[in-house]
Amino acid sequence: MSQAILTVDEAKEAIAKGRVLLLAGDEAVLRSLPNGAWVGGTIPYFMSNKYGGLASRELVFATDITEVATGWELQRYDAETVAQVYVNAPENGFSFILIPASCPTHLSFALNAPNYEQFGVRPLVGWIAGVHLEDLGKITPKAINGQTGEVIEDGALVMAVTLPAGKAASLGIVNLFEQGDGDTLTFPETGFSAREVFVNGKRTNFAQYLTEKQLDTKLPLVADYYGALVNISFQGVDAAQGVVNFYAPVFSGIRYKHAKPVTDYVADFKNKLAQDCSLDDTRLVFSCNCILNYLYSELEGKKTQPFVGPITFGEIAYQLLNQTLVYVEMHDV
Amino acid sequence: MAIPSKSNKGWTDVVTGKTKHQLKFLAAKVMLGRLVHAVQENPTPANISAGIDQLHELYSKNAHMPSVQEDMKTIFG
Repeated sequence: MSQAILTVDEAKEAIAKGRVLLLAGDEAVLRSLPNGAWVGGTIPYFMSNKYGGLASRELVFATDITEVATGWELQRYDAETVAQVYVNAPENGFSFILIPASCPTHLSFALNAPNYEQFGVRPLVGWIAGVHLEDLGKITPKAINGQTGEVIEDGALVMAVTLPAGKAASLGIVNLFEQGDGDTLTFPETGFSAREVFVNGKRTNFAQYLTEKQLDTKLPLVADYYGALVNISFQGVDAAQGVVNFYAPVFSGIRYKHAKPVTDYVADFKNKLAQDCSLDDTRLVFSCNCILNYLYSELEGKKTQPFVGPITFGEIAYQLLNQTLVYVEMHDV
Repeated sequence: MAIPSKSNKGWTDVVTGKTKHQLKFLAAKVMLGRLVHAVQENPTPANISAGIDQLHELYSKNAHMPSVQEDMKTIFG
C-alpha cells in the first residue's frame, strides 16, 4: 500500500508492471497514460508527503493497492443504476467510486445514496472529480476507466476491490468543524439549494437570514449524525433571488448548525488527530481531502501527515461529504 | 462475535433514540443519524421493526469489524 506523487513516466512504469492503481491528475495527464489496472479522476490538486499541498498539471497522484487487492473489477453506473452500488459491492472488500462533479450522477448520488438498497453494508469510499479552478466552466471533470481508456463526463466508475481473507477495510473521517452555539436550522425540502429555512422552528428566508446574521459562508453547516459530524458547504448566496446554493444537499428533517470557526487548520488538524484518531499509518490505504479545506485553510505547501491524496470536489464515505478528510484503513480480522 | 438477535431490547432503544451511545462504526452512525429521526417522527411498531431490520443487517454483515465489536459491547454490554 502506498500513496505517492508520481511523474508521468513513473506512472507509466507502474502501470506497465501491472500495479493496481487509483489515480488522480489533470485530464491531459491521465489521458496520456496507457491502459492498465487503474481508474482515475481529474483533479490537479494534491496533498503529498514530499511537497505538502500542491497544484500540478504535470504530476499524478497514485494510490497503489496491489498488495491488498486479491481481485478487482471496474463497474460503470449512471444516475439510475448507481443505486445498485452497495448491492454490487464485493463480499469482502471495498468499493472505490469516482464521479465527475456536477453531472447528473453526482446530483443523483448526493440526494439518494442514503436510501440505496443495503446502504452502508459494505465500505464505499471515493471522491468527486474536478478541474483546475482556472478551468471552471471551461472544461468538465472526468472519470477514466484505465482498463479501456474510456473517459466519462456523466456516470460513476467504481473499482470493486476484493481483499484477502483475514483482512477488512474500514472508513474514517476527520472533520475539523464542529457545530457552533447558534441557531438550529432545519429545511423544509431536501436539495442543493434552499430558499427557506426553519430557524429554531420559525420559517424565514435563508439568504436573508445569512445576510442579516453576517454568517461566514466559508464555514459549513454541520449536522450531528449520531456523533458523526457531517458538513454541508456553501456554494453561494444569491441575495437578489433569495436563494442559497450548496455543494451537497441539505436534507429535510436533519438539524444543522453553522460551524464554529477553524483558525489554524494544520494546528487544529494535528490536535484532532492526537485527540480522536488512533490511526496506525501503516494501515492507511487511501485518503483524500476537500478543495475548500485546501483553499480556505491555505494548505498549499503545508502537510497533513499521515494523510495525503487528491484534493477533491467532494468526498465520499458511504454518502457525499463536504470539507471533510476521508480515509480507508486496513484491519486484520 | 455474535450479533444479538433483533428481539433484543437494545436495538429498540437505539432506533427509537431512548438510549444514545458513543458508537465507533461510521456506517452505523450515518445510518442512525437519519433512522432515529425517522422513527421518532412516526414511532409505529412497523417503523421501529423496519429500523431494527436495517441496523441489524448493517451490523451482522460487518460483525468481523473491530469497530462493530466495540459497538456491540457498548450497546449490549
